[in-house]
Amino acid sequence: MKVLTLLIKKEIKIALRQRLIRIMAIIIVLLLSTALWAGYITYNQQQENVELAQEQRRIEWLHQIDKNPHTAAHYGTFVFKPKTLLSLFDFGLDTFTGTSKYLEAHYQHEFMFRPAQEYSSTIRFGQLSAALVFQLLIPLLVIFLSFNSFTSERENGTLRLLMSQHISYGTIATGKIAAILLILFSLLVPLFTVALIFSNNYINANVIQDLSFRILLLLVLYALYIVIFVSLSVWVSMLSKTGRNSLLILLSIWVFFAVIVPKTATGLGTQLTPLPSLKIFRNTIADDIKNGLEGDLSASERRKELEKTYLKKYQKDSLHQLPINFLGISLQAGEDYAAKVYDHHWQKLEQTIEKQNAISSWASFISPYIAIRNLSMALTSTDVNAYFHFHKHTEVYRRNLVKKMNMDLAKNSKNGEFFEYKANENLWKTIAPFAYTTTSVNRVIASYFIEIVAIFTWIILLLFAIYSYSKKIKASYV
Amino acid sequence: MLQAIDLTKKYGDFTAVKSLNLSINPGQIFCLLGANGAGKSTTINLFLNFIGATKGKALVGNMDVKSNPQKTKGLISYIPENLMLYKSLTGLENLSFFCGLSRSPLNKDELEHILLKSGLQPDFINKRVHSYSKGMRQKVGIALARARNSKILLLDEPTSGLDPKASNEFSELLLEMKEKGVTILMATHDLFRAKDTGTHIGIMKEGQLLEKFDTGSVSFMDLESLYLKHMKN
Repeated sequence: MKVLTLLIKKEIKIALRQRLIRIMAIIIVLLLSTALWAGYITYNQQQENVELAQEQRRIEWLHQIDKNPHTAAHYGTFVFKPKTLLSLFDFGLDTFTGTSKYLEAHYQHEFMFRPAQEYSSTIRFGQLSAALVFQLLIPLLVIFLSFNSFTSERENGTLRLLMSQHISYGTIATGKIAAILLILFSLLVPLFTVALIFSNNYINANVIQDLSFRILLLLVLYALYIVIFVSLSVWVSMLSKTGRNSLLILLSIWVFFAVIVPKTATGLGTQLTPLPSLKIFRNTIADDIKNGLEGDLSASERRKELEKTYLKKYQKDSLHQLPINFLGISLQAGEDYAAKVYDHHWQKLEQTIEKQNAISSWASFISPYIAIRNLSMALTSTDVNAYFHFHKHTEVYRRNLVKKMNMDLAKNSKNGEFFEYKANENLWKTIAPFAYTTTSVNRVIASYFIEIVAIFTWIILLLFAIYSYSKKIKASYV
Repeated sequence: MLQAIDLTKKYGDFTAVKSLNLSINPGQIFCLLGANGAGKSTTINLFLNFIGATKGKALVGNMDVKSNPQKTKGLISYIPENLMLYKSLTGLENLSFFCGLSRSPLNKDELEHILLKSGLQPDFINKRVHSYSKGMRQKVGIALARARNSKILLLDEPTSGLDPKASNEFSELLLEMKEKGVTILMATHDLFRAKDTGTHIGIMKEGQLLEKFDTGSVSFMDLESLYLKHMKN
């Protein structure tokens, strides 16, 4: 242990005396601070906007003039995906999916006001977030810290002297890995510790479930991700004859991990399991509602059937004799059927996206960057599953709102009445304010199990490669 | 202390060391003479277990280096032709690091004292090694051997490229270590240094040890004649 400590101290001392490493570390810290600061400003602005907009919409809903309930359902409301504290670390898909949604009767609107719409094509390269720094730039720092961990010893001739000591090659490798990790963790740990302390007292912490545990998991997973790059760099340095070769190989691997594999996985996913266009998706739903889904009756037939059912139920001959407003019942039945059709197609859409995501998940075994990217978005609740979860939540809220409006129309007005009947504030109040909490962390872990396994597999394979090579080291490499 | 028993190293058809039998006891300085490619450095590499023997055994302190690589390395100090230290560390930091690795922890004052005793100028002790000359680095190597209190010293052309004064200082340090009972094996081209410093001399050619004798049994002129005779044949 003492020998290992000595090796670590020596490596740290040498690394800190290298100007290139110092400059890179300063750049990374500056980028990280800028990213966090930008994230904090964005978070605060969006949080303020969301809170203000949510409050205004609530006031508008409660103080809308007396009107027909179904019209009120069309008047609708906006709901907003609350920004979570963690989204200041990883913006995830929020930039592309948007966080606001207009809810009204009959229609499932898409998310609106996507920040990506306001950016130029540079958005393709991602936004500068702390997650981006950790996922792409810190691996670069790792490469510059460790590409010559063994080659410099070999090229300078110090490896011979080192190997002539009472010390094994495996111990030297362990010392090098541990030293680089210590340097990097001195950047990583304070950041997460501050976040952890901050999260415990933060007012908005209730939006995201298991916040402290999520931060802890992020810390562990990012630490493991860094272990992968450090081990990989040290291993390549062990195998390379010169530092130049080692650096070239590692930079090529970085490009492969960060650009080629993600692009290929996305392309493959789109090719193998293509998504319908929004227009086709909407039109198919509209057709199925009109003509009936998979052998169901058409809209006009369903309405006739519904009439018959209600006339029979109340044993009446005409709709005017019913004690309820059949229009409300009919509107709600239409709403229920539209929901059924929408759920059917949405489920298919989700299945397609799940298949695409599965390709991305398995690609984690080819690129650890994909694993950490997916896990980071999941834990910060900015991934596609969080989007689906929020979407479902808004849909439940929308359906409940519309149903209350339609049923009020059915129960409290006479058949044939529409604009004549007006509901008031008492009805509006029955709609609870929109509230949203993310999924539990257990669900996140279950959804991204492949990525977690991939990260551990990478570490095990790389450590095995390093230590098996240490035992077989040849004299020509000393 | 150092023993080679039928020690052979082959690289394909090429035999780098052929059936070497050698025994060096404590307090002896055995100088291996020979031209480039004679097998001197390969012999040292075999004792260090940097390479494995094709046949035979290399024993350090009666232990086979192959089956006890770590234990045998614990007994050895090695100074190559061009001792390379960590350039961004000072001489003192290098010495402290390597002593620590060999479980010979000494405090800063003790290490400074050893460096001074090994001939390193006081001004350079706390300077980074990138400003050191080759002779200075070799002195740090000697300081390391002293600090570690090594029982065995393996030297591969240690005075090659050193100026006469530095070579002389180096020889004096070796003699001092010999007096302390250190077993020394030195590969060299330098006949004068071998005659002046060694207790025993061996002449190697094409992997074979052709001659082995006490230094006292030959004059420098005889040694030179003998060496040239073997090299010409």
